Amino acid sequence: MTYMAIPNIGNYTIALATAVESLGIKAWASTATTPEALKLGINAAPESVCLPLKAHLGHFIEADRAGVEYAFMVNSVGTCRLRYYRHMIGDIMKDLGLKIKIFGLGFDGFKPPIVRYFDPGPVTFVKPLIHTALKIKVIDELEVAAWRTRPVEVNQGDTTRVMNRLLVELSESRTMAATRAIRKKAARCFAEIPIDTEKRPLRVGLVGEISFLRDKCLNKNIEYILGSQGVEVRNFFLLGEELNNISRIVLLNQNRRKYLSKIADSYLQCTVGGHALDSVAHSIRCADEGYDGMVHLCPSGCMPEVSVRPILKRVSKDKDIPILEMSYDEHTCGVGIATRLEAFADVLRERRKKKRSLVHRVDMVIKPNNADIEKKLNKVCP
Amino acid sequence: MNDSCYLGIDVGSISTNCVIISPDGEVLFEIYKRGEGSPIASVQQCLSILAEQMPESMRIKGVCTTGSGRILAGAVVGADVIKNEISAHARAALHLYPDVQTIFEIGGQDSKVTIIRDGAVVDFSMNLVCAAGTGSFLDSQARRLNITIEELSSRAVRSENPTNIAGRCTVFAESDMIHKQQIGHEQKDIMMGLCQALVRNYLSNVCNGKDIRPPVVFQGGVSANKGICRAFSEALKCDIIVPSYNMVMGAYGAALIASQSYIEQTKFRGIQVADHPIATRGFECGDCPNCCEIIEVLDDDNVIGRTGGRCGKWEGKTGPRELLRGKGPAGPLAPSSSDLETVCGPCSRVDDVPDLIQMCFPKK
Repeated sequence: MTYMAIPNIGNYTIALATAVESLGIKAWASTATTPEALKLGINAAPESVCLPLKAHLGHFIEADRAGVEYAFMVNSVGTCRLRYYRHMIGDIMKDLGLKIKIFGLGFDGFKPPIVRYFDPGPVTFVKPLIHTALKIKVIDELEVAAWRTRPVEVNQGDTTRVMNRLLVELSESRTMAATRAIRKKAARCFAEIPIDTEKRPLRVGLVGEISFLRDKCLNKNIEYILGSQGVEVRNFFLLGEELNNISRIVLLNQNRRKYLSKIADSYLQCTVGGHALDSVAHSIRCADEGYDGMVHLCPSGCMPEVSVRPILKRVSKDKDIPILEMSYDEHTCGVGIATRLEAFADVLRERRKKKRSLVHRVDMVIKPNNADIEKKLNKVCP
Repeated sequence: MNDSCYLGIDVGSISTNCVIISPDGEVLFEIYKRGEGSPIASVQQCLSILAEQMPESMRIKGVCTTGSGRILAGAVVGADVIKNEISAHARAALHLYPDVQTIFEIGGQDSKVTIIRDGAVVDFSMNLVCAAGTGSFLDSQARRLNITIEELSSRAVRSENPTNIAGRCTVFAESDMIHKQQIGHEQKDIMMGLCQALVRNYLSNVCNGKDIRPPVVFQGGVSANKGICRAFSEALKCDIIVPSYNMVMGAYGAALIASQSYIEQTKFRGIQVADHPIATRGFECGDCPNCCEIIEVLDDDNVIGRTGGRCGKWEGKTGPRELLRGKGPAGPLAPSSSDLETVCGPCSRVDDVPDLIQMCFPKK
């Protein structure tokens, strides 16, 4: 059997693995960068590049050591280093004397080179791709369900267990029917988790660099830490949404970026690359939707995210929403991250208490049917 | 009820502190101990000092641990609450000075600023990737000059014409200091220059963009350094309040948190923990390719806690390892789900699923 190493993009790697089957080969990957791979990448890469590159590089080096012959690397269209990841990784691996062959997503002619190379039949090619789309949809749903359930679960760890188990099943499912069955089962399983219905969890949005939003190893399991602190997380990278966006660009000429740049217009008029515009626009949107806070994940040395950090500070001041800056590199230790996140959750909890007591006080002094007061109330507690 | 009290333990990078307070927040005993690299031993030593000082009749009603070693210390003593140090420090400062607006906290390893408005924490910041401007830097400089840290503090205050030292980075600061020393600057001026550089670095890196308003409370180990206090008040042009318990504020805050969290029955394992043979043992989990290094805390062969995992499977659990462990790393085709179904029933209780799923053949 021929294997192909694919990059780790969190739980979506499971869906990507199915996509690789469309080429008649098997995927080699895991749902997060392993610490071993990270170590290899750090040793091989130049010291000053951002951590996601090191993680991907280490992953491919590990793949080569395991005897994998081919690798696949996405190249995004954003004007950040990610665009050149494939070339950089390829060059570094050539310097190291490794034989693995890396494909990119480029088109030169009708078929992309990767399809031309393996040349699968039309049926074997199309069917797994449809299956992949379905899997991505299921994983999207699982992610959303996990964010919502984790902060209110009664027995800590239930959600993670159910989620991981469903993901294992999903990674094994070979047919569309099995995947559909898992989708139904997922709804049932999440509904069965005992939850505390009285609890009103804090709501926090996660924005920042995409590898960090998705890779549990890189972000030190931030969704789990926040969730177990009683915080409902909203991670602004869902692969399903990204693909929807791409298909909308192709079919309807509607780019989500236009919509986002309209929101962020008073703060950021030009593109700074990567997902920086998303970070700003989503922070503004979250503030308007009444989120309690934002967490900005930023690898140190990531040009787009670093350049929007001062802008986010401004947003935080203008919109009165706390934004926690998290700067990651390979020396970041898990304890520091957990300390900051715990303290952040404490801050948000106190803010909410304070807001409530303010509303209470206003309520007691003046009759609540006064229109002015209602407006004030809405402002305080949207 | 007069003999009930609450214990707060702060296990920091350089020191381990214990504070015992009465239910109304009055400090009864405080212990500041510089740790020698072994958090468990220093916690035990603190407890044994406490055991000597404390009257027999006193009963500890609740324990809270804080600091970077809080989870380990919590497992060792049996803590009721485990709290992060930012909240603990803020709690203590707010208790002593209800109208405080800014808290500076510089410890051995990290420095933080906490912004407080109307008695509630609204913002905080912690040094991100740079250790310049923390206590360990001052410590190493004092050691290089062969003086104690207390001496550095008292000499710096006497300076009248501080030298300008580059404070952006500890390495450059050190070479700049050596250079200034070689061209004949007075030692006290270099000391004060170092304090000013540290404060400049702190204000521009940690307090970057924060609205700093007086009253400012300065606490943590470095606040004992008079030179730094002087540099702060010169830079901010306002008075800096240094609390009388400045060295043990974290532990004080932890004790306050313990006293305010309505503990009915404490999990404290007794002050005699100090004499127990507590050891740690590491093993590799191996249930998924993460291969987390799990640390077991053992008291006389009984597991009293585990730390170090990423997925929460081991944290705080004391059951036998075999029961908690899954079926090993996900094999060539991951464990088949039908097997799991028969062993554990439907999704309700499955502990043996990997946190990280490996597709295809396992990594070697």
